[in-house]
Amino acid sequence: MVGTIKNNNIFGVFDDEDVFLSAMRSMEETGIRIKNVFTPYPIPEVFRIMGLKTRMPYAAFIYATIGVILTYAFLYWTSVIDYPVIIGGKPTNTLSFVIILFVMTINIGIVMSLVTFFIIQKLGPGKSARIVHKGITDDKYVIVIEKTKEMSKEDSQRINYTLFEYGAIEVGEKEHVENI
Amino acid sequence: MTIDKAYTVPPGLRVLSLLLIVTGIATFTAGILIDPQRTWANYLIDSYFFISLAIGAMFFLAIQYITQSGWSSMFNRVPEAMGSYLPYAGVLMLIFIIFGSHSIYHWTHHSAVESDVLLQHKSPYLNLPFFIIRFVVIFGAWISLMVLLRRLSLKQDIAGGLTNFHKSEYYSKVFIFVLALTFSLGTFDWIMSIDAHWFSTLFAIKNFISAFLHGSAVVALIVILLYQQGYFPKLNKAHLHDFSKYMFIIGIIWAYMWFTQYLLIWYANMPEETVYYQTRISSEWRVLFYGNVVLNWLFPFLFLMLNKIADNKYALLFTAAVLMVGMWVDLYVQIMPGSTMSDTSPMGLNSIGLVEIGTFLGFLGVFTFAVSRSLSKANLIPVKHPYLEESLMHELH
Repeated sequence: MVGTIKNNNIFGVFDDEDVFLSAMRSMEETGIRIKNVFTPYPIPEVFRIMGLKTRMPYAAFIYATIGVILTYAFLYWTSVIDYPVIIGGKPTNTLSFVIILFVMTINIGIVMSLVTFFIIQKLGPGKSARIVHKGITDDKYVIVIEKTKEMSKEDSQRINYTLFEYGAIEVGEKEHVENI
Repeated sequence: MTIDKAYTVPPGLRVLSLLLIVTGIATFTAGILIDPQRTWANYLIDSYFFISLAIGAMFFLAIQYITQSGWSSMFNRVPEAMGSYLPYAGVLMLIFIIFGSHSIYHWTHHSAVESDVLLQHKSPYLNLPFFIIRFVVIFGAWISLMVLLRRLSLKQDIAGGLTNFHKSEYYSKVFIFVLALTFSLGTFDWIMSIDAHWFSTLFAIKNFISAFLHGSAVVALIVILLYQQGYFPKLNKAHLHDFSKYMFIIGIIWAYMWFTQYLLIWYANMPEETVYYQTRISSEWRVLFYGNVVLNWLFPFLFLMLNKIADNKYALLFTAAVLMVGMWVDLYVQIMPGSTMSDTSPMGLNSIGLVEIGTFLGFLGVFTFAVSRSLSKANLIPVKHPYLEESLMHELH
């Protein structure tokens, strides 16, 4: 289509965690808005610099609680109400439930958290991968900055220079990068 | 303020520790005259309590070396200082074994062994000379490895470089393997042999995890107390959060071990095993028996779950204090019923009185004295530790 900017994101590639983090910090200070970052492994500091918040732990806690209640209800119904069998003289509402409860709490907590994560991130089977840079699953750290329509050519040039100045080894443009 | 400010023992603390020791000696002497069995049982509880703390702290240190952890390198002197309680513990334990073992251990009585097939069967292992040999070997191994790790750490302060660090890592590996064997045997000897007919293979690992949990908690406790006095100026939320992760996660492992031992015995339902829990569940021990789980697992688990609480230093101090009470209760429930069992009180004595408190305070005095003395003898921060920088800048990672 005519008139739209196709390459709407600028990215800078870093090959050192410390350089990457200090670049992030300086950019936040100078007021350049970071759209997304990609790192090979989770870095908690990224959360703090970008001021991100997550409710995932609470969700996981709720799922685990639901998991323990559902599993206990199921066990109680099968082995106490519906089909009580006395094994080894043990009571039907038995302490052995604890092991199953323990495992199922973890299982339901993890699976439901994973599903939530997939839904939030709009991930799923058949989704095409949009990879900003091939190094992000290896040893590279990438900062993505959105190139808005109001941005003049000089502005984006300035961002490019800034990225290099902060230690990026490569700067490029890429379309369709999702928000964090 | 510089980060490597040397620690000096405040005169108040020294006086306090000496006062505690005097209190301990006074109550102990009085207790011996009134009720030797109960007093020696308390002596064993407190002795094992502080041995566990020292061993737990040493294990904490060894784990930091082996995993080459950066965050904790600033605090290495604290677990080292706690380890330096071990020689004192050795002397105190030796006093117990020479004078007190006859009051506590049923199997040391010849008359009891003669009429007891099971004890006769165990006697090639469970006899007093071999018991003392094991004690000497166990403490010899602990103290020599503790001194070795301490020396390497002090050498590093002067020489710097990586040689001493790699040596520390190597001997830490040696230490944890030695510990696996010696701590298990020690626990079997000193605590499990009280109920000489009863046995559980999970007993030692359970108490070892307990030592690790409470040792780590006390490391955090001492670090925070020193921070309150102006040491460790670089301590920040990230360190505190890591300490609370230790308490949180090892607390879960502790509960796992506690429950595993219980569940196996409950499920197998063999009288020679269930008697141990029978004594503790169906009597006035019930409250302490279940309270133990609340104090050592349920409370820290629920309390430290929220991040906002987990990195608050007062919350950590409080949790560590609760864990200390929990550990004492844990050992009280393990040791007291078996060692004070008599015809008049078939379930053992369950009354916390002056003897319990006084003896504990005495041991606390010795522990405080040993730890503060050791802390003041070297730089409070291992100034040439290869990962020191990472530890000081821990909030960035």
